[in-house]
Formats: sequence, structure tokens, C-alpha cells
Amino acid sequence: MCRHHQAPATTEQGDKMADVVNVGVNLDAFSHAINGIQALRSSVSRVFEFLKDGMKNRETLEGREKQFIAEFQDNLQAVNRDLNELERLSGLVGRPSESHPLHNSGLLSLDPVQDKTPLYSQLLQAYKWSNKLQYHAGLASSLLNQQSLKRSANQMGASAKRRPKVQPSTLVLPPQYVDDVISRIGRMFPDLTIELFRPNGTSAVLLVTLGKVLKAIVVMRSLFIDRTVVRGYNENIYNEDGKLDIWTKSQYQVFQKVTDHATTALLHYQLPQMPDVVVRSFMTWLRSYIKLFQSPCQRCGHYLQDGLPPTWRDFRTLEAFHDTCRM
Amino acid sequence: MGVTCVCQVPVAEGKSVQQTVDILHKKLEQLGAVKHGSFCVDCETYHATGNVSGQPSKLLYVMHNSETPLSCLALFEGGPCLIADANFDVLMVKLKSHFQNAKSHKVECRGSRYRYCDFLIKVGTVTMSSSARGISVEVEYCPCVVPGDCWNLMKEFMQSFLGPSVPELPSVFAAKPEGLFAAADCVDTMTQYLELFNKLRKQQIAGSNVR
Repeated sequence: MCRHHQAPATTEQGDKMADVVNVGVNLDAFSHAINGIQALRSSVSRVFEFLKDGMKNRETLEGREKQFIAEFQDNLQAVNRDLNELERLSGLVGRPSESHPLHNSGLLSLDPVQDKTPLYSQLLQAYKWSNKLQYHAGLASSLLNQQSLKRSANQMGASAKRRPKVQPSTLVLPPQYVDDVISRIGRMFPDLTIELFRPNGTSAVLLVTLGKVLKAIVVMRSLFIDRTVVRGYNENIYNEDGKLDIWTKSQYQVFQKVTDHATTALLHYQLPQMPDVVVRSFMTWLRSYIKLFQSPCQRCGHYLQDGLPPTWRDFRTLEAFHDTCRM
Repeated sequence: MGVTCVCQVPVAEGKSVQQTVDILHKKLEQLGAVKHGSFCVDCETYHATGNVSGQPSKLLYVMHNSETPLSCLALFEGGPCLIADANFDVLMVKLKSHFQNAKSHKVECRGSRYRYCDFLIKVGTVTMSSSARGISVEVEYCPCVVPGDCWNLMKEFMQSFLGPSVPELPSVFAAKPEGLFAAADCVDTMTQYLELFNKLRKQQIAGSNVR
């Protein structure tokens, strides 16, 4: 073990740690480097505190400015010095040696050609990486599970014994039933017309025309709404093949905003057991856009904000707000 | 094609036509509009010959708009109108015996085009035989097709850069049989331009001083 002359207290500690830690690390340089980090942190926070305090009172404005600049430069130079010191110390610390192989994988480190095929060190790095990834993924999944985003009634992760009994019945519905529900909803509102197409298999694609204001294309998955695109009344809804174009965004900013709001709405209205109620609520919400260009914002009273009319409709009260005014 | 409103902006006191146009451009740029090329609307007048004497000959107006470069609009004032393709001009030349071109009455409106969010604003100088007669401003709100719906919205926008000289709802929309809730189209725009040109022409004939 390499050692420099140092105070006795550090020696004892160094001894104890040496039994546990690898041989190649220079422990004294390590502790000096930690002190160096602390010094760097304190000089950086000194810089920000100095900036926060601002200029001190002197007689002339020039005098104040000069003194401020001089002190600021001093602080920055202290930071620079500490950083250089830290770099020097970290160079002395050395790398933990890899000559303590871990059981069978250590047999990989017996390959003498270390430069060309650094298998063992790469293996260690990959292992550390995957551990960190697993840890972060666990954190992320616990955060995401707090907010349930499931819109269908599938019970994933339920015990294998129960799974055959809980059939996802709302996902497998006969197309005739879907047609009936949609046509019933279409007759509910006089100014909203719904046409149903099935261009790709059994998923329905609805073309919802709202008065002379907008046309919305709603892609369904059995009775669940998957996604939606809202375009202007005078925009083209077919692509070159003559089929419904379900991907192109609107060319008008107001309808791009309404598309975003509609996507938020279909995530908001969720009832896995009763999807037809969901579709009805969504259509009721969409119908409030009949007065998209006529209503002023309920909060600021203006019609326009950044060139856009009030595009947000509250999910409960259906009042119109600007996107920036919504409460 | 959205709802358009064409109006005339009076020349500012003590300034020339070009200076007023520059003031408008600056106000638009302050709002955040971005310049998007230029535009040109022109109108030629044709007298219908071969009429029964004693009746004033009807005037046929043939108009072009750079927004629809492949089309040409022919209309009688207050009467029927026709949208044809650009070869219509050649046809008019062939119909010389029936329609005579009043070359001195050609009116042109040229200027720059600005885009702000979903609005298209065109500020132009109306010239007749190379003398500037006035300033026209056209505001188009592209997403909406029903004038009755978005008139308040357009008025609020026009107030933000035109100030006090905001026009009323153009009469061409109110005059339709379905009223304000019929869809607007390019014929309405050109009719508004025609009204503006005729107004400016009459101003000159009346002898009032328009700089």
C-alpha cells in the first residue's frame, strides 16, 4: 500500500479502510480530494452569495461598480484555483484495481491482452449500469402507478388463477353494437353529425362534423376512443388515395390547439366499465366547440390571446377559456 | 379560404401615402406579424357595347387576385359573377366587339402580406393610372368560414393595429339570402375590393383631394 507522511489519525483510519478497500487507491489523496471538493463548493456558493448581495454602498456609481467587479473577479479566481487543485488531487487518487475478480466472471480477467479486449472492466461497467437502470426504473414505476392511466378494463398483473375469469369484455364487442351506440349518440345532437367508417379492419374511424366550425376524426378501438385529430371545416380530410387522412395535423394553429385539448379530454373521460358513457361525455364536450369563434374567454373577457380564440373548454362546466387563462 | 374584411384606411394627417403604409407595417410587426411576400389585386373595366340606345351600358369588371393566381373573376356590379381560369382574359380580347376595355379605368392594389397566427393581413396602396389614391387593408381569418361567428373576433384584432378606424361588418355578408351565417368565399372578397375601388374612383371624380 502506498502511503505518504501524514498525521497519525489518518493513518489509523487508513489502516482500517485498507482492509476493506482495494489496494490501488491512494487514501490520503482521496481524503485531500474530498476536502478539495468541499473547498470548491464553498467558493462557488460564495460567488453566488456575493452576486445576490449586489453592490455595496460607496460614494460614486463608478466606485461601486469598480469594487463590485474587483470582488467578483477575486471570487471567480478562487473558484478557479480550487478547481485546479481538485483536478490535481483527483489525478493522484488512482483507480480501484480490478485484481479482485468476482467468482466465475473473474476468469475473464485472466486474458493477458488487456488493452485489446478489456472484457472484464466492460463487464463490470455494464453490470453497474444495469443496476442503476433497474433502480431508476423501479422509482419511475412507483411514481407512475400512483396515477392510473389505464382506460380499459384489463386486469394485468392479477393473479394467474383469477385471470381466466376476468374477461376483458369491453374490448371485444361486436361491430354491430358499436355501430348502434355511435348512431344513437349521433342522433342526440342536432348540429353534430357522425359518420362511421371501417377503413382498416374492425376499428371504427368516426368523422364528426360540428356545424360549419370543425371536422374531427376520431379513431376508436372497439368502444374506446384511441386518438383524435381536429381540422377546420374547409380543410381537406382525404389523402391522395381518397381514404380518410387520419394523421395530418391541421394547418391552422387554433385547430392544432383544439386537437391537443381533445387528446387531453379523451384521457380525462375514463370509465373502463361503461365505455358508451365515455363516448357520450366526449361528444358533449366536443359539441361545446360550436361557438369556438363566438365566445369570449370567461376569465379575461377578450376574444383573442396571442391571436388565438378561447380554445379550452372546462371538462365540467364547458365554459370557454384561453389556454393561458384556464384555471 | 376564410372570412375576409376589406377596408380603407385614411391617410394620416400630414403624412404621405407611403408613410402611412410604413406606420401600419411597423404596428403589425410590433404585434408579432411576419412578412410573407406581396400581393396584387387588379380590376379592369369593360363597357358592354351593342346595347339598346338610351340605356346606360353595363359595366363588366374583370378582377385578378394573386391569392388565387390561376383564376379570374368577372362580375357585374350587384349582379351575377363568374369564376373562370386565367385564359378568360384572352377570351375578352376575342370579344372586343361586344365588350370594350376602358383602359384608363384600370385599378391596381399592391402591397405586402403579413401573417399573424391564423390571420392574413394585406396592406396595399390603391393606384389608378399610376397615381396613389388610397390605402386598403384586407384582414382574413383563415380557419372560420362563417362571417357571423367570427366578426367580433376580427374586430378585436383589427382594433389592435388599426386603432379607431375599424370598419363595420361588410354589407356583402348581410346582403346574402341566408344572411351572416352563409359560408364566405372568394367572390365576397372581390366584391368588397370592387366596392372600395369604385368608392376611390368616385372620390377623384368628385374633385376631393386624396393624397
